[in-house]
Amino acid sequence: MRTSIPVSGTKPLAVPASAAASRRRRPLLRALGADPIAAAGAAFLVLVVLLAVAGPFAARYTYDGQDLDALFHGPSAAHWFGTDQFGRDSFTRIVYGARVSLSVGFAAVLGESVLGMTWGTVAGYFGGAWDQALMRVVDLLIGFPTILLAILVTGIFGPSLANIVVALVLTAWPGTARIIRSEVVAIRDRDYVEGARAAGATTPRILARHLAPNVVHLLIVRATLDVSTLVLAEATLSFIGIGVQPPYPSWGQMIYDSFQYLDSHPLQLVFPAAALSMTVIAFNLVGEFLSRVLDPRYAGR
Amino acid sequence: MARYVVYRLALALPLFAGAALLIFVAGHLAPGDPVQTMLGDRYTPATAAVLRHQLGLDRPLALQFVQYLGQIATLRFGTSYVNPGLRVGDLIGAALPVSLRLAGLAVAVAAVAGVGLGVIAAVSRGGPADRIIQFGVVLGLSVPSFVTAAGLVYWFALRWRLLPVAGWGQPGDYVLPVAVLAIAPLAFITRIARSSAGQVLLEDYVRTARSKGLPAPHVLVRHVLRNAALPVVTTMGLAFGTAIVGAFVVEVLFNIPGIARVAVNAIFQRDYTVLQAAVLVFIALFSAVNLAVDLSYAYLNPRIRY
Repeated sequence: MRTSIPVSGTKPLAVPASAAASRRRRPLLRALGADPIAAAGAAFLVLVVLLAVAGPFAARYTYDGQDLDALFHGPSAAHWFGTDQFGRDSFTRIVYGARVSLSVGFAAVLGESVLGMTWGTVAGYFGGAWDQALMRVVDLLIGFPTILLAILVTGIFGPSLANIVVALVLTAWPGTARIIRSEVVAIRDRDYVEGARAAGATTPRILARHLAPNVVHLLIVRATLDVSTLVLAEATLSFIGIGVQPPYPSWGQMIYDSFQYLDSHPLQLVFPAAALSMTVIAFNLVGEFLSRVLDPRYAGR
Repeated sequence: MARYVVYRLALALPLFAGAALLIFVAGHLAPGDPVQTMLGDRYTPATAAVLRHQLGLDRPLALQFVQYLGQIATLRFGTSYVNPGLRVGDLIGAALPVSLRLAGLAVAVAAVAGVGLGVIAAVSRGGPADRIIQFGVVLGLSVPSFVTAAGLVYWFALRWRLLPVAGWGQPGDYVLPVAVLAIAPLAFITRIARSSAGQVLLEDYVRTARSKGLPAPHVLVRHVLRNAALPVVTTMGLAFGTAIVGAFVVEVLFNIPGIARVAVNAIFQRDYTVLQAAVLVFIALFSAVNLAVDLSYAYLNPRIRY
């Protein structure tokens, strides 16, 4: 703390960001109310999260408890979604599958957001050689398909949840870095950033207080859309057989298993398939809603 | 343009070399000793040392990497550790054309159908046909390919018995895999074709063609379709990439002897040399596709210069 200049200089300048945030919050809910499809998506996601968090405590069955007298039962009061080829309760398994999908999706999105945000902000703010060097790495990695890297990592180091998350983070972050970087480039010379700089704010302070809050809405949009991609990637890995390993359930693996009995018991496939598809669609709906509301470039479209 | 081509090539080469290094290192970090796998019951320190020397695994890592690069350059990729005598290059050589043919067919189907659907949606903008197509696009982009595959297999193969459930060899075996692979590319090609056709419909030359009394189908095909297809060209690479990655689901599901199944089998058998080669081939395909995409952008849109 040198003098009062930086403080008095930055304080009024920091206000617009936080004021904008609080102004934005209520219209977000109102906009959600005016958009029934996005609202349905959001409600479905809340339900899935609640089930994933609380479901295992409320469940009457375990995910691997076999009941060989009750194979392939249809939906009933005892087994809401029926039972599978080992007599395991499908509803319980889908609830546990939601835990896998959501925890892998959220962990990977957290990792890639932090990495992409940092990378993109540094590249965009410092520009010049930094920008060149950092963005060349992004150029190199951005076209790399998620599934391929995940297959390499889990194929060689084994299909643990941690390895799946690492592989997903590695392929997802360059896209985030590119978006954040272009937005930072667009706002780094704005008056309020200049003002903060002139008032003597340190670089970390400018990055954290002035740049980050003004690109975070893009990060939220991007992250929501990315979760759907990442959930789908985990399901695909588990479907191929190199993701979550049995007996622990995951949606992709349940879908693969029920393919063997598709002719005689198609309902066994319908439930996990619906759970996965609806979750992916819900994340996309909410993500697109957020981008309409939060991303100014969408305005007027 | 020439400078841009050089830049993109210069970017593709380190990616490939870096990928080769990554794959090489990953193979060495992998749990398990290939020599032990190959010898099995006959494992003694003496036989192990002989085999390790034969395979060159006792040389310095840097030298091994150079040899590995040499094997890549000559497309031999060494031999399988799990199935000795099986040359990885032969395995890949047999499987790759299958995957490429599937991906090529899927992209062709997606391009033709996608441009057609996109133009139909643009012409009937806001109408029922447009709404249905738009809804289909959202579904096609959101619903996982193996879920769609389940529906297709259930109705077309199991209930109506029109097509085989799985297998490889008959022409009918292509239909369901190509359909599953084509869905995602079809969805985004339709979306792009719709928006580009929507813009073309507003152009003066379309109004002129209509006002001088040309029949509507003629205007659509000669004036709208041709111009609307141009932006779609640039998505071909993305479509091809999607179809290549989709092979992992389709080849496992329909039991097709393509390169994705080779890779997946290699994972299950812990056959690292095969896995490394398969992943490298995928990366090479992807680098080539990305290069083609970026070059086509630059070629079709002269404003793009880096």
